[in-house]
Amino acid sequence: MKRLSMIFLMMILIVSLAVGCSNSEPTKAEAKEPVGKIVFKGSSTLAPVITQITKDFKEKYKTWDQVNENFANEDIEIFITGGGSGAGVKSVIDGSANVGMVSRPVTEEEQKTIEGYKEYKLGTDALTISVNPENKIYEVKDTLTTEELKKIFSGEYKYWDELDAKLAHEEIVLITRDIGGGAHKVFEEKIMGDSKVSENVIQAPSMGALVTKIIENKNAIGYASYGVVNQNEGKIMPLKVDGVEPTAENIKNGSYIISRPLLVITNKDVTESEQVLLDQIVSEEGLKVVEELGFVPGK
Amino acid sequence: MPEGSTSGFLRRREKVNIYKIIDKLFLYLIRFVSMISVLLLVFIVIFILKESLLTFEEVSFYDFVFKKGWRPISENPELGILPMILSTLYVSILALGIALPLGVGSSIFLSCMVNEKNRNFIKPIIDLMAGIPSVVYGFMGLLLIVKFFERKLSFSSGESILAASILLAIMILPYIISTCDESMIKILKKYESTSKALGVSKYHMIRYLILPTAKKGILASVVLGLSRGMGETMAVMMVIGNSPLYPKLFGKGQTIPGLIALEMGGASVNSIHYHALFASGLILMMMLMIINVLFYFIRKMMGTVSEE
Repeated sequence: MKRLSMIFLMMILIVSLAVGCSNSEPTKAEAKEPVGKIVFKGSSTLAPVITQITKDFKEKYKTWDQVNENFANEDIEIFITGGGSGAGVKSVIDGSANVGMVSRPVTEEEQKTIEGYKEYKLGTDALTISVNPENKIYEVKDTLTTEELKKIFSGEYKYWDELDAKLAHEEIVLITRDIGGGAHKVFEEKIMGDSKVSENVIQAPSMGALVTKIIENKNAIGYASYGVVNQNEGKIMPLKVDGVEPTAENIKNGSYIISRPLLVITNKDVTESEQVLLDQIVSEEGLKVVEELGFVPGK
Repeated sequence: MPEGSTSGFLRRREKVNIYKIIDKLFLYLIRFVSMISVLLLVFIVIFILKESLLTFEEVSFYDFVFKKGWRPISENPELGILPMILSTLYVSILALGIALPLGVGSSIFLSCMVNEKNRNFIKPIIDLMAGIPSVVYGFMGLLLIVKFFERKLSFSSGESILAASILLAIMILPYIISTCDESMIKILKKYESTSKALGVSKYHMIRYLILPTAKKGILASVVLGLSRGMGETMAVMMVIGNSPLYPKLFGKGQTIPGLIALEMGGASVNSIHYHALFASGLILMMMLMIINVLFYFIRKMMGTVSEE
């Protein structure tokens, strides 16, 4: 009896498997073009912006046929996953995402590997050199020079009082993003030049983690995203670099040097529905969200 | 009458035949399913090998494993993961050192000291600990352990090998307890009445009968705990600081799983960075295999006294 029921169970399992498989294929042929889900992947800095824009988009239209009559009556399904700028580019190359989010310049080499490469610029983000508000550095020194930053991040200055004698004799805690990430690449290019970033750094897995660490550790210094700093105003202190304050204006006109573009990129397989969404992202409304989340909007 | 009995006999034979066929089918099905899982493992190994071998065209295997310096995206990439290998071992062995006495103690308590009712209450709670997602552990580690180091012990930064080890010890504790406890219960059931009949005290029995006999069970829990610890990614990554330095107890470090998780997202496909990350995964797998094989032989050598 036991064996019989066991066999019966197996049968059910197999049948359900078979049914499950066949279900995953579209069951009914729609006369109109089905849209399916749209996947965004990439930069963790950009992800909240895209999430907000697509959320507004979803709330406004709910189903695709509301957007345009040519589309099928389907719920708008948009998935947004992080993974870093590199993953954004990667996913567009291998087609695992429809749209890639990138918060650094896309290299020419990468552009070549993507067929029908197209990028849409949402705005600019800056990496502000930020410290904990308990750190008195901004009272002692108004600005850090590139040279000083180099010495701090390469590990030449180990204690804060080496930078300025008035500061406490406490170890400088360096915080960076992962060395393969977009932010780190930008920082290395704009500040470090040929010198290497010290190995004695805490590598934060996301921009959020980096900022949290600076908020919690009074000796920490790191390159926090301008947008995230604005989201945590008062809890974290951005410093001037070479006398230039990281303000929207300075970032826009390029006088604040550690900045990076916020991009969404696609390959040649852009469907009509995706195009609608992309247009929405770079529309006035979209750029407003970019500004609301603390970044500098603009194409 | 004779006709009837013949047909009944035939029917029964037919029935037996059907069962035989079903049995056969079931056997094939089981074989097929188990083959798939074996093949999966084989494919994973092949894939990782294929992706990582390209690394060794750039750097020699020896340099990769025994040199320090991790700058995979600079002009002249440096690829040496010795600090990561050492950190991985350091963190998991230290965690095991913390968790093993606690775990063995708790399993003695669970198997020999408490009554059935309390045991049935405590055991599921400990098992539940294994089900808590590692991100949650990592978060707790960040808020409690790292903060404690920074505030109370005035570390410049609380992220350290020690913090990771403490956190990891808590995470592998339920595995150690349940493996040890299982073998101890078995031993206890087998010898309890004999031991009692001889008039031996409970503590004497634990010291001279249960602990020595449970050696194999404890060893199994060590292997399980070590493998778990070396593979743990998220929680360790959140509290260790991820610096490619040689491990020091109060210093920052980076484990191999942490390295892969942190950088895989940013590595562009088919770059040397990407292949090097696969290669470090290969090294981790090799380390785990070596440890498992090593313990297998130790277990074999450990002699005839077993709990079975």
